[in-house]
Amino acid sequence: MTAPLLSVRNLEIAFRSGRDDIPVVRDLSFDLGAGETLGIVGESGCGKSITALSLLGLVPSPPGRVTRGQILFQGEDLVQAGERRLNEVRGNEISMVFQEPMTSLNPVYTIGEQIAETARVHFGLSRAKAWARAVEMLSLVGIPSPNRRAHDYPHQLSGGMRQRVMIAIALVCEPKILIADEPTTALDVTVQAQIFDLFNDLRRDFGAAIILITHDIGVVAQMTDRVMVMYAGRKIEEGPVADFVRDPRHPYTSGLVSCIPRLTMPPSDDPEPLFEIPGVVPAPRDLNRPGCPFAPRCARVMPRCRDENPGLEPLAPGRMVACWQEQEVAA
Amino acid sequence: MTDTTLAAPKPVSPSTQAWRMFRQNHAAVLGLAILLAIIVISLAGPFIYTVAPREMVWMPLTPPGQSEYVLGTDYLGRDLLAGLINGGRVTLAVGFTAALITVAIGITVGALAGFFGGRVDNLLMRVTEFFQVLPNLLFAMVVVMLFGADLLNISIAIGIVSWTSTARLTRAEFMRIREMDFVKAERSIGAANGRLIWKVILPNAAPPLIVVSALSIGTAILFEAGLSFLGLSDPNTTSWGRMIGDNRPYILDSPWGVTFPGLCIFLTVLAISLIGDGMNDAFNPKLRER
Amino acid sequence: MLQGTLNRLVNAAILLVAVLVLNFTLIHIAPGDPVEAIVGEMGGATPEMIAQMRAQYGLDQPFIVQIGTYLGNVLTGDLGMSTYYSRPVTGLIAERIGATLLLVVTALLVALILGTVLGVFSARKRRSVLSHLVTVIALAGFSAPVFWVGIMLILLLSVSIPLLPISGMTSSSADLTGIAHVLDVLHHLVLPALTLATIYLAFYSRLSRASMLEVLGSDYIRTARAKGLPQRMVIYKHALRNAILPVVTFAGLQFGQLISGAVLVETVFAWPGLGTLAFESILRRDTPTLLGILFFSSMMVVVMNLLTDVVYRLVDPRIQAR
Repeated sequence: MTAPLLSVRNLEIAFRSGRDDIPVVRDLSFDLGAGETLGIVGESGCGKSITALSLLGLVPSPPGRVTRGQILFQGEDLVQAGERRLNEVRGNEISMVFQEPMTSLNPVYTIGEQIAETARVHFGLSRAKAWARAVEMLSLVGIPSPNRRAHDYPHQLSGGMRQRVMIAIALVCEPKILIADEPTTALDVTVQAQIFDLFNDLRRDFGAAIILITHDIGVVAQMTDRVMVMYAGRKIEEGPVADFVRDPRHPYTSGLVSCIPRLTMPPSDDPEPLFEIPGVVPAPRDLNRPGCPFAPRCARVMPRCRDENPGLEPLAPGRMVACWQEQEVAA
Repeated sequence: MTDTTLAAPKPVSPSTQAWRMFRQNHAAVLGLAILLAIIVISLAGPFIYTVAPREMVWMPLTPPGQSEYVLGTDYLGRDLLAGLINGGRVTLAVGFTAALITVAIGITVGALAGFFGGRVDNLLMRVTEFFQVLPNLLFAMVVVMLFGADLLNISIAIGIVSWTSTARLTRAEFMRIREMDFVKAERSIGAANGRLIWKVILPNAAPPLIVVSALSIGTAILFEAGLSFLGLSDPNTTSWGRMIGDNRPYILDSPWGVTFPGLCIFLTVLAISLIGDGMNDAFNPKLRER
Repeated sequence: MLQGTLNRLVNAAILLVAVLVLNFTLIHIAPGDPVEAIVGEMGGATPEMIAQMRAQYGLDQPFIVQIGTYLGNVLTGDLGMSTYYSRPVTGLIAERIGATLLLVVTALLVALILGTVLGVFSARKRRSVLSHLVTVIALAGFSAPVFWVGIMLILLLSVSIPLLPISGMTSSSADLTGIAHVLDVLHHLVLPALTLATIYLAFYSRLSRASMLEVLGSDYIRTARAKGLPQRMVIYKHALRNAILPVVTFAGLQFGQLISGAVLVETVFAWPGLGTLAFESILRRDTPTLLGILFFSSMMVVVMNLLTDVVYRLVDPRIQAR
């Protein structure tokens, strides 16, 4: 097997609070192959977004920083890379689309300029060429009359259109990896579907590997090849998307999967109540105590879960889970 | 950043918590100490140091340390130390009174505009805009010159030219809080407008308003100093600003008559600014990083 | 857009008329009237003479007629007669306005540019010496009376180290022309402009620092970084233009206070502008002149606000949509 495009090894990210470093991501390892789509799933506060930012060296610092581990991009450790090198990678080889299209574009520049400048910086294109490229990108992401729209300012566009612009910015340099952090959470449902269609088209055209961060299992099932579930800063399950939806192993994952309302259910006068996982993600500060972080919320908790934190154990090729019960069953 | 949730500390009342934060701010505590010292000296000083501030007691323009009057004398041979001690009273009295007027007008106008919105807001904001257009010192000069330079007139003049920023802040806070759920809840159970304004919204708008009110004392003191420097002060009193104005023509012979009262004003306003900053940080712990 | 401009101009005109009405009302309700003052100067007069003078000044007319006459006069550029100089106030203001504008504009530019630079640098390096220095300057500048700062600067830079002239706008001994004259004026300008700039430097550096910090934490700056733009582009292209907006607004809104500061600074340095004239008017109880200055300064503030608006529109495209 060839080396993966991106390989994250034992990553730990911590935030300084007073005199303590509070880890928000712990011992995280995962791989991403060229052209692959990986979903990262979890509730808010589980460390998904900060992991994504760390891949670009954008963990807000202070107070945050990567305290341990490696981020190997084509064999090069980005954790050790200087700002200059990171700037060559950002937006060029790895780019990112954020959750908040309404505020992620600079209000005082035209959208054409905001796309074009990326091309100018990374490819050294002339103003005219970069502008032409920006217009082309606008057309690719499905913005009508791109020639005229390129002169618009962000406030003249709807949320969905702005997210398309963000995607255009992210793809203008044809990156090898596109990270999308909850790209549709802030948008209407119909617009969400359009944006995902766009992602599917672009994945075909550009061949970029995609890391899709979301808390929406439906989106994951539809969009990704492989899924990784995070809980309280750790990876707790990983596997191909089909297995994952059909046969979730970790109690948290099964909880997430059962949270999706099924349209296939026959209409009834007395619908089953929607499933929900009781409790909330524990605060990072509370994670120093022993035991599985999910134990307080787990319906299938065993005595061992409260004392020892389960490590990730492979169940099948490409499939792993961190749960005592699953591991005991497998053993 | 949104992915970090830190454990909540034990619940304490907001004011207790604010006081704890305030105490940790050394600069603010220092400011409080300076201000208290200045207030105590101004109030009690004249009874302990009984030299008359407005009488010739020694050779004019005596430098500090060359007579029994430790800080020296001014161009009329008046004791500078006595002037500083007595002048503090006037400066502080005008400062506090003017700030009170500023805050009273500002909060009333802002609260009405922010609460009622629409036409009331439009009208009141026009009035606010009008007062913002008038250069504040010039307008205060006109008022004091036409109506006479007694302490109350001076305080009123300062008050009516200074309230606009308080009004704008209050208005913004009211507009923000007006839309919050607990206000809507009160409204839905039929609370009267008066109750909503003074009992429901105002207490929730209090933190920034308290900070601005504190800072407006400092602004008013500077303002009073400016007016009396220009000769617009009560002729029967001594204030720090007036001392600077009176002694200015003699700075070449004796810079002390100007330096000391200026330092007093500077220290007082600095103390108030430090306290204001401390309160601001205490009310908004999140901004402390700045 | 045209509609908006028109609204703004009408609004400005209404504000100015309101200032005039206020001016007039103040004289009207203030104790004592101009005739009494003149009679006092003359050392007494018969009731007939007083009545005649009242008629001459129009003081026997109803309030509303008087105010109409006053407004009409102002529209033709007549702000009344100075009771001290016995000359039209408009002429007195015209003689002094140049000096004041020179001082105020210089101080404003110095404070704006230096304040923004300090603010931006200290926002980038929050824990640096410079950042703490900005905090200290801001605090000190806010707390010191501007006229006292002026006197202290005179003591330091004119008396202890005789670098700069103590007061005035020109050297009275020499009758300079051309370049020499300009340099002489600039030499005299340094201290007063520096003094006046101090307080506003404090405001602007603090404001631009806070504004810059806020902008640097915004989503679009994160986007700019994620695009791989070099640091200087992130700061000077993406952050600065947004961060400067509140500073521009504030500078415009505070123009009235800048004029107030100029009154004090001019008085300290005997700078022959409107401020000194206002100060002298108080000493001479020259009400028409003081009111004329108040009106004229309000007009400058209104014009300045309109200009700020124009600048804001140039910098922020969102405004045009509103």
